[in-house]
Amino acid sequence: MPGRHSRRSVLAALAAVPLTGALGACSGTGAGSRSSGTSSITRITFWSALRGSQEVVDAFNRTHDRVQVDFQQIPSGGQGGYAKLSNAARAGNAPDIATIEYPQVPGFAIDGVARDITDLVDDRLRRKLLPQALGLTTFEGRVFSVPLDIEPMVLHYRADLFERYGLRPARTWDEFAEQARTVRREAAGRRLVLFPTDGMTQFAAYAWQAGARWFDTSKGAWNVSLADAPSRRVAAYWQRLIDAGEVFMNAVESRQSDAQLGNGLVLTRLTGAWDAGAQMNARPGQKGQWRIAPLPQWDPARPSVGTHGGSTFAVTKDSRHPEAAMEFIAWQVSHPDALRARLSSGTSSQYPAAPDLVPVGREAFDRSYYGGQDIYALFEREAEKIGGQWTWGPRMTATQKVMQDSFARVGGGQGSLVQSLRTAQEGTMPDLKALGLSTTQHST
Amino acid sequence: MTATTRPAVPALAPPATAPAAHRARRAARRRRLTACGVLMAPFFVLLLTVFLIPVGTAVYLSFYSDDQPGLGFGPERTVFVGLRSYAAVLTDPTFLGGLGTVALYCLIYIPLMVAGALALALLLDSGAARLRAFAQLGLFLPHAVPGIIAALIWLYLYTPGISPVIDLFARADITVDFLGVHTVLPSIVNIALWSNLGYNMVVFYAALQAVPREVIEASVVDGAGPVRTALQVKTPLVRASIVMVAIFTLIWALQLFTEPMLLSQSSPMISSRFSPSMYIYDAAFNRTNYSLAAAASVVLLACTVALSYGVTRFTGRADAAEEAR
Repeated sequence: MPGRHSRRSVLAALAAVPLTGALGACSGTGAGSRSSGTSSITRITFWSALRGSQEVVDAFNRTHDRVQVDFQQIPSGGQGGYAKLSNAARAGNAPDIATIEYPQVPGFAIDGVARDITDLVDDRLRRKLLPQALGLTTFEGRVFSVPLDIEPMVLHYRADLFERYGLRPARTWDEFAEQARTVRREAAGRRLVLFPTDGMTQFAAYAWQAGARWFDTSKGAWNVSLADAPSRRVAAYWQRLIDAGEVFMNAVESRQSDAQLGNGLVLTRLTGAWDAGAQMNARPGQKGQWRIAPLPQWDPARPSVGTHGGSTFAVTKDSRHPEAAMEFIAWQVSHPDALRARLSSGTSSQYPAAPDLVPVGREAFDRSYYGGQDIYALFEREAEKIGGQWTWGPRMTATQKVMQDSFARVGGGQGSLVQSLRTAQEGTMPDLKALGLSTTQHST
Repeated sequence: MTATTRPAVPALAPPATAPAAHRARRAARRRRLTACGVLMAPFFVLLLTVFLIPVGTAVYLSFYSDDQPGLGFGPERTVFVGLRSYAAVLTDPTFLGGLGTVALYCLIYIPLMVAGALALALLLDSGAARLRAFAQLGLFLPHAVPGIIAALIWLYLYTPGISPVIDLFARADITVDFLGVHTVLPSIVNIALWSNLGYNMVVFYAALQAVPREVIEASVVDGAGPVRTALQVKTPLVRASIVMVAIFTLIWALQLFTEPMLLSQSSPMISSRFSPSMYIYDAAFNRTNYSLAAAASVVLLACTVALSYGVTRFTGRADAAEEAR
């Protein structure tokens, strides 16, 4: 009898361990680290998952006396960073400054986590930032976060393989589809490109470029139309390539995709400007094989691109020193020393939302990986083409999950991309309604 | 109790001491009540803190919401929203899809579980099985493995590239995808069966031990073979246990969470809103939509209560019909 008892309690304890761990992870920490200090120094806290943040904070603290920043590295948004931020805000101990990617800005603004900082963003800072970037963090004329980088989608391609198959970077999507056919026909086991089943953000960039407006707030309500005419056009385009087996279709965040890239099975990648640096870090052995070109266009006479990636900084509702927080944010996004500090932690090709910083990035970038190509000049031209019509939705993480779950089923042979868009819309509306937002669903 | 002692009292105690006896009786009753209270308090405290208060909170949350008018960028205020969250949940195709998934899961899992556990228990009870104690332990052991560990073990066995099982099949030129569009639900059923079959078998086996031996002997004398004895004599006699196991399995199955949550790491076929419980988790922690999560929780609770009640009612009526016959 005692034996049985103790065994059961051991089992209970074993079962309880993961639970308590999970609960512990839920409760936010960091409340203790914030204090206003006894002297005139203002201490603020900063959460980020971005690489090089510690270096930026160190550089700031070295050069500033009045404001000092306590940095805490947190997991990236999808890995629990956003949940951590939400829970901390719910508990009333969010950091002064949080890092939020563009798609999640409206959600955190609606939840009241990101503070309305319109009055804190002065004209000097405003003039420094690319208007399309600031437009993505401005709602009803009010600014909720400050962009760090904005990432036009570009075409990364394997120059060596392009040469072997007699290809040149496609100028239009029709040409691109033609090339997909050629590669499938002539290169056994190779494909021109991957359609990522976990790639809502990629698909959004394609739709954005085609002129889609998934979310539109111009009429005082959230008009949701994930399957509008431009999006349907993009979906039909990729569906044709998928049905013909002319593209790979699997997750991009997977070993399968790593193998495809590592073994030279996929010839192009359609991603943001930042990915040039990420590619160098991930596959140093492919030095000299890659080049970058503008994204193919639907109508070369009226070029446009969408963005893929990019982060912003928000001052949270719990901040007791919003002015100090804003001072650090302004320095971080617009001062050359901030970018230099960030780049000191490793190669990065992020395209700064403050175009004045482009020379700093260009100077630090080792061009030899891209055969001497001046990729920043290309990014600069592409950033100008970013379509200004785009708005992200109030619950983008949820929209993303539903869409990607559906993409994955398309990869498994069930349904179509257009249906995935509709499914994502149907899975988004209940959320918005339960939040009490005014919604409409007109589609073009 | 007092009624039985009352006649004796006047005879034993003189009338003068009657109030004293009365006091003693009252004190005894008070002691009994105190003892009852002390012994039952832990139950009620737990019932209150881990059941009634959370349920009450969920119901409250489901009727209130932090609202902002229009686009939602204004200041928040908590308002009563009536059935809005319920309307949102019940019109959400992903929630209804999750309910459908769990319904299908129950349809596959519960019959398999009840029939499997009963068959094993009958086998053990019939004496056909050798090494009874060993078989019992072997079958029960998986239940001692926490669900999360079990899911991890099966995740390993299901994942292509690392699974020895898939390798073995591949060597025989058979391609299996345990996490494909149509196989993922059976794969989850398999995990649940593995975990719980032994436990329910023990429940049935214990019930079978209580079947009077003379009834079995009578059936043997009447010429019933072992199969007939098992199906037509023993099984009806453990009917109450079958109902109980069915209800517990149903309640457990409706809350399907751990297995799909872990398998979703490895299979894109399991969405983040695969089952109602996963929907609730997703609504609360990924979508920070607490009213929606609360409403979905209440809907799931109502479904569970209704189904459990339905099963008891249905089987109760069947019992009554049987007795009448």
